[in-house]
Amino acid sequence: MQSTSRSISSILPIAEEKPHFRLLSSVDLGLTLSALLLSAIGLLTVHSASAEMPVDYLPRQALWVGLGFVLLLIVVSIDYHVLLDLSLVLYVLGLASLVLVLFAGVERGGAANWLQIGPFQFQPSEFAKLATCLLVARYLAGLNRRVLDLPQIFMAVAIVALPMVLVAIEPDMGGAAMFAPLIAGMLLVAGIRPRLLLTAAILVVVLGAGVWTFGMKGYQRQRVLTFLQPETDPLGAGYQVRQSKIAVGSGKLVGKGYLQGTQSQLHYLPARHTDFILAVLAEEWGFLGVLGVLGLYALYITSAARIAIRARDRAGILLVTGLLSVQCFHILYNSAMVVGYVPITGIPIPFLSYGGSFTMVNFLSTGIMLGVDLRRYVNR
Amino acid sequence: MQVVREHRDDLVFRLKLLSRLVTGLLVLIAVGFWFVQLVQGDHYRELAENNRLRKLPILAPRGLIYDRKGRLLVENIPSYNLMVDRSRSQNLPGALAFAAGVLGRPLPELQALVEGYAAIPDFKPVLLAENLSLSQVSRIGVAGLEFPEFEVEVQHLRLYRHREQTAHLLGYLGEATEKEIAASDGLYEPGDLVGKKGIEQTYDRILRGKDGERAVVVDSRGRLLDDYGRREAVPGRNLKLTIDLDLQQEAARWLTGPEKVGSIVAMDPRNGEVLALVSSPSFNPNLFARRLQKKDWEALIEDPNHPLQNRAIQNTYSPGSTFKIVMATAGLTEGLVNEHTSTSCGGGASFYGRYFRCWRKGGHGTLNARGALKNSCDVYFYSLGQRMGIERIAQFSRLLGLGSLTGIDIEGEKRGLVPDPEWALKVRGMKWYPGETISVSIGQGPVLMTPLQMAEMTAIVANGGYKVIPHLIKDAEMPEPERVALDENAIRIVHEGLWAVVNEPGGTAYNSARVPGAEMAGKTGTVQVIGQSSRLDAKALPFKFRDHAWFTSFAPAQNPEIVISVFAEHGGSGSRSAAPIAQALHAKYFKVDLQHPADR
Repeated sequence: MQSTSRSISSILPIAEEKPHFRLLSSVDLGLTLSALLLSAIGLLTVHSASAEMPVDYLPRQALWVGLGFVLLLIVVSIDYHVLLDLSLVLYVLGLASLVLVLFAGVERGGAANWLQIGPFQFQPSEFAKLATCLLVARYLAGLNRRVLDLPQIFMAVAIVALPMVLVAIEPDMGGAAMFAPLIAGMLLVAGIRPRLLLTAAILVVVLGAGVWTFGMKGYQRQRVLTFLQPETDPLGAGYQVRQSKIAVGSGKLVGKGYLQGTQSQLHYLPARHTDFILAVLAEEWGFLGVLGVLGLYALYITSAARIAIRARDRAGILLVTGLLSVQCFHILYNSAMVVGYVPITGIPIPFLSYGGSFTMVNFLSTGIMLGVDLRRYVNR
Repeated sequence: MQVVREHRDDLVFRLKLLSRLVTGLLVLIAVGFWFVQLVQGDHYRELAENNRLRKLPILAPRGLIYDRKGRLLVENIPSYNLMVDRSRSQNLPGALAFAAGVLGRPLPELQALVEGYAAIPDFKPVLLAENLSLSQVSRIGVAGLEFPEFEVEVQHLRLYRHREQTAHLLGYLGEATEKEIAASDGLYEPGDLVGKKGIEQTYDRILRGKDGERAVVVDSRGRLLDDYGRREAVPGRNLKLTIDLDLQQEAARWLTGPEKVGSIVAMDPRNGEVLALVSSPSFNPNLFARRLQKKDWEALIEDPNHPLQNRAIQNTYSPGSTFKIVMATAGLTEGLVNEHTSTSCGGGASFYGRYFRCWRKGGHGTLNARGALKNSCDVYFYSLGQRMGIERIAQFSRLLGLGSLTGIDIEGEKRGLVPDPEWALKVRGMKWYPGETISVSIGQGPVLMTPLQMAEMTAIVANGGYKVIPHLIKDAEMPEPERVALDENAIRIVHEGLWAVVNEPGGTAYNSARVPGAEMAGKTGTVQVIGQSSRLDAKALPFKFRDHAWFTSFAPAQNPEIVISVFAEHGGSGSRSAAPIAQALHAKYFKVDLQHPADR
């Protein structure tokens, strides 16, 4: 097995050549524009969602977006090979913060998954996710094979499993679940034999049953049950699903107008500035608004995929793939949840949902992708 | 240079596949939105507009408050408010006309009211009228089909049974301010009623309980169709106070009426239980239960006697001659005087080049400590004060609870003032003059205390030197009282002197405070409001120029179980206006029938 501690550039001599850096003209417009437009829409919707709350979340979210954009600019200017070289360090730091949160975490809504640093609280799991993605990309890129062997797959899974388990015992199941699309997307792209894929699928089912029985808390099981039979919990999750669907459906084609969503303004919608922000948007802007937002997400996803495809090396492809997989999962799961197709879990939607750590990580991810894109040219 | 060929074509191929899969899923979700918003859109729009699943709060009943004998002081009564949901209205003018008829209010008034709500979204019910009678509620209920915009909202109001008599003690409820919400750790939400002042404020968290919730299905006219689920409310806990309602009411009655301004505190010196706490003038707390009328509020704010102020803890006054209790206790404990040390009073004496008069022109002759207390001789205490010095006076004042909070469990308490040279320089910016010490010796200088501190000081002397903490909750677990370093013999002599004030002919309160069989001990105090030169009969002076009157007392003298301190602002002399009140209250407490009730 190749050592993961050796740097990518030492394995791949081509990287020693200075990458040609063409700023601005080479910045991917699709990715940048979709991220910025979605953030702007997010700000407007967060304001509407919190109109009847004691606090208007708009100024704070604007701050997060601003900080996120600064982070994006910083990370774009760093060669992603440097990030990959640092990935082991970042990964260990990520693990350390996850262990720390187990002992010194601040509880918010059932799970103690926040770290308090001075006046700031942040979710280490969000940053651990990025570090894990970097390390897995570096490992898989270094293998340089068409299809992965079983031990190699195990190694990659182990890298992901460690932080995932730490997040799961916080317990933050939604956060832990986010590691699954990360490894799944990267492994699928890195190459898995079909037979193995089938075996894995079976394994997932078995593991799922195990988690259901031993790994889940009562309220989490209840949520899944509620999804299957909403009438079992009329004041809790069933109420949420129903109210969310009423909000979305009553928006019809053109919506009720900005700040006019009765479901949202009358407090029927729970977590309407975070997990159910899309329902607020759907109620006030209608199907046309939803189409616009989904269109922007499609633009974001296809732009990111294009960046991965034209990336300079395997490391670039895999890194963007990992980041994109997580974003896709957030987008798909949250939007499906809002229309009642999947159980309710605390999975927010990128750029729209309110949240400090989450917004910053979205911008960081986008920044890394743009950075990969800027360094795609190899002068041979 | 050797170039390693990377395997990347397979990666790109698989990535393209995956990306198509995701795009496909995104389209599928878009179809899902299309289905919910366009195919089922009308259905959900109707649900959203009319047939909503509503979450209604189940209000937790607020805890009741009882006196020490289990008599109810505060209860909750239902009150009905008429609300209008304009979004459900088909004929708003007609509905308003109907409401005007039912309520017996002019139509233009209601129309103006509704127009005032223009900025609030239609679908939010707005208040039309408060405090409907049951017959009004039923008439509106019957017309529900014709006028679907009306909703009757039930609210629980606090009813303070004894109104003004317990107002400062119990406090009242009001909407939570932004500051209170921010400080409550998520307990309060905007619009919540929270305790303001008194017991309601201090024990709000215990009294309020936790609201429950129920979800109901309502039809397009807002009528309840079905229960969907519920979480029961947790009722607030009841409180039992240390207050004795009989005593509280009797005390309040004595301070009710024009020119009756002041405060009365009664407490048990053995444990600090407050038996009565009255401040006058008072206010009707039931006015605060509903939206307070502007004129009522203005009347309260503009009243020169500030009825909202709790004089028992928030106002500080000169103690006058009651301060001689502090002086005698200090002098005897310090050994500056003993039981037999006597001073001759010739109606006044010179100190530091100034002549200080005794209140009795002819003088008292030769007096010891006991006699000096009994006759309230100024010259004895001038001379004692001169020997003691201001530092030691301040030290003993503090030992007896002056200058610091008593720690009673209602908010707003004032510290009062124990003057000393350091204070004079720091706060007043002027050095302390020896002559001031002489004035302080009879409680006339800058020294200030609240009526509650007066009761506390009296209690410490009465119980033999234990600093009990005044409190209002019966059976509260209180810390062991702090022991105050007072000489036992000193306390005995002071007790005798105070007993003589009331029970021996010639005592300053012999004619006005004696309760046969109650063995009461006490001390009068009169605080000059204007100079002494123009002494006239109290009643002949305008109210605001009359002296303040104090009387502080305990009984039975041998084994005190009650302390009563009375302060009558501009009441005239302590013996004539404050002492009879204490007399009546002791009589009430010991169930003694006074055959010749004092002149009320």
